Amino acid sequence: MERHFFKELENLKMTILNMAALTQRALENATRAYLERDEQLGQTVIDGDKKINALEIAVDQYTLKLLALEQPMAKDLRMILGTAKISNELERIADQAVNISERTQFLCKYPPLENIPAMDQLIDVSLSMVKKAVSCFVNEDVKTAYEIRKMDDMADEHTLTVLQTLVEYMVKNTPATERRRLNTRRSVQTIIISRCLERTCDLSTNIGEHVAFITEGVNIKHQGIDAEP
Amino acid sequence: MEKPNKIVTKDLDFFYGDFKALEDISVAFKKNQISALIGPSGCGKSTFLRCLNRMNDLIPGSSVKGEIYIDGKDIYGQNIDVVHLRRRVGMVFQKPNPFPKTIFDNVAYGLRVNGIKERKIVAECVEKSLKQAVLWDEVKDRLHSSALGLSGGQQQRLCIARALSVEPEVILMDEPASALDPIATQKIEELIHELKREFTIIIVTHNMQQAARVSDITAFFYMGRLIETGDTETMFTRPQLKQTEDYITGRFG
Repeated sequence: MERHFFKELENLKMTILNMAALTQRALENATRAYLERDEQLGQTVIDGDKKINALEIAVDQYTLKLLALEQPMAKDLRMILGTAKISNELERIADQAVNISERTQFLCKYPPLENIPAMDQLIDVSLSMVKKAVSCFVNEDVKTAYEIRKMDDMADEHTLTVLQTLVEYMVKNTPATERRRLNTRRSVQTIIISRCLERTCDLSTNIGEHVAFITEGVNIKHQGIDAEP
Repeated sequence: MEKPNKIVTKDLDFFYGDFKALEDISVAFKKNQISALIGPSGCGKSTFLRCLNRMNDLIPGSSVKGEIYIDGKDIYGQNIDVVHLRRRVGMVFQKPNPFPKTIFDNVAYGLRVNGIKERKIVAECVEKSLKQAVLWDEVKDRLHSSALGLSGGQQQRLCIARALSVEPEVILMDEPASALDPIATQKIEELIHELKREFTIIIVTHNMQQAARVSDITAFFYMGRLIETGDTETMFTRPQLKQTEDYITGRFG
């Protein structure tokens, strides 16, 4: 006879997966809205955040209940603690998607800045990292957790390049006062977007670290990126 | 500094007639540590516990192979005084079993049978043991009432006081709180923590949370074998073996 508790654990995992799917879609839509200057799509991301927030609260309540009533041990205990943390990370990724969408709405009001290749690369890396973080949780795959951590360095590099490109643009390319203001505003908003993307990469890295804790009981936080499973 | 070994078993087998109840148990328990023995019913943990003060000698047809050392001396060796051994290695059982005597006489009993008769010394020892068992404040005004009038939790602490009165070095506890309510259980658990300073304690428990709460070391038994032993935190958060993991997470047993 299967214990009722195992069903509860499965429910918890399904709730996290639902939250992960919504978060992943939010980030995809937020970045697409930015790239395609689609104000309406950005608005759907902002509106959809409530659902992810509600799921975070549901996971908090669920994990508290399981800890109090079931007094789990070993991997079950790690799974509950780990999913509570992963749900926090997902909620924060979703917040970054909202932030990106809000900046995008500002940018849509003005003509586009010239294309910044590092920004495209940063978007690709961050989407890929979030996707890998989710699959790492689904498959309890610690190897992927280490891969995500290595990708985070790439994300940092692209973020720096975006920053340098835009600072240079603001300094050099703005002779007239009014135009300078506009360029500065657009550039600052874009820099903020790049920072949001960079944060999603950090949060994806954290998810990978939580998965390593859940799966093997090891703490791989704050280790060099060359550390291997 | 690492604590010295108090009890060491080597290749220990135990038989009830032809039935091998324990097989090849080699383990060491350190001085002033609390060790918990866990495992499903019939896994041999209580049998193992009773080997440590030769209580199993009383079971007809039982036999032991292998060695058990206490402070380096084989307790199944020659010239071992079993009564003296059981004084050094005291025991507390699942169900509180006070004698139908007064509270005072229950604790004094062990002293008297060991030849200590002087009233002042006996009274001092009784007081000390009751204080160690954190029962003194509750019974000091009714020491000469029947022990059977105490609550279950108090009776169990009285039994612990009785075990402590002869100044043992090791205390074996066979599910000491399983017949008690949560408050009495909590008191026993707190007491076990206190007793660790002076005694080496080995406790058999079916309650996994209790093992996790009170012990420093946990040993998992299954079908007469010692499957895994390690510090309690590791055993309950990331055990090394799947069998241990499956047992403590309720996937079998």
